Amino acid sequence: MHEGSISIHVAADVREIERLNKLVRQFGELHDVPSRTLYAVNLALDELVTNVILYGFDVPEGRQVTVKIATAAGELVASVMDDGRAFNPLEVKAPDLNAPLERRDLGGLGVHLVRSLMDAVSYSRDDERNVLTVRKRIR
Amino acid sequence: MQINEQKQGDVMIVAIDDHLDTIAAPAFEQRLLGLIDGGERKLIVDCSALQYVNSAGLKVFLLTAKKIETLGGQLVICSLAASVLMIFEMIGFTRIMKIAPNREEALLALGSSAPA
Repeated sequence: MHEGSISIHVAADVREIERLNKLVRQFGELHDVPSRTLYAVNLALDELVTNVILYGFDVPEGRQVTVKIATAAGELVASVMDDGRAFNPLEVKAPDLNAPLERRDLGGLGVHLVRSLMDAVSYSRDDERNVLTVRKRIR
Repeated sequence: MQINEQKQGDVMIVAIDDHLDTIAAPAFEQRLLGLIDGGERKLIVDCSALQYVNSAGLKVFLLTAKKIETLGGQLVICSLAASVLMIFEMIGFTRIMKIAPNREEALLALGSSAPA
């Protein structure tokens, strides 16, 4: 894997996710990120950015979300930044994976996936912006 | 999204294409719930083409399984690619949903068998 970074701005529109995933894949291939890692990172970014787009803004038109990705020293670090309402997705209640079908909730699946797919996830509110950072080790 | 339906005996087999995301999920949900509303009680979703699913798509499987089981029916999901099966395991769906390796096994699980 090669060191490098990319910054991607996406409009607050779920149709942008496909373009985001394409750009992440291109970046990953250019930097020799293993395809399994790319798959996990793309899915995590889909969940995080989609959450911001759907729930972060009162009026999503004209707003945007910034994704930064950096590869270095056996690790990929990705951050999702937005200036929408303060929201820490890590406070979302985790789904009860042991619950029987009839008691399984529909909520919390996306955040659970992000936590499971990534090695570390952190949130901060910096300067009126939400910053969600995920890390994935590359073996 | 492309959704193909095929009735085999009393089993409805729904085959989906490669991408089940936030954009595709509403049409998929509408179709599956529509089939249940139309009286289908044995449902197979064939995922052999599916390469990518996010939480919006996963919710549709959960919602469909809940609804059909409440009505005494059963949903079987078959032919998951390894990368998609990993996601199903991660989210605990392999514990609460019937997953079959292929269409034949899915039919058997529903008490039906493939035509000779």
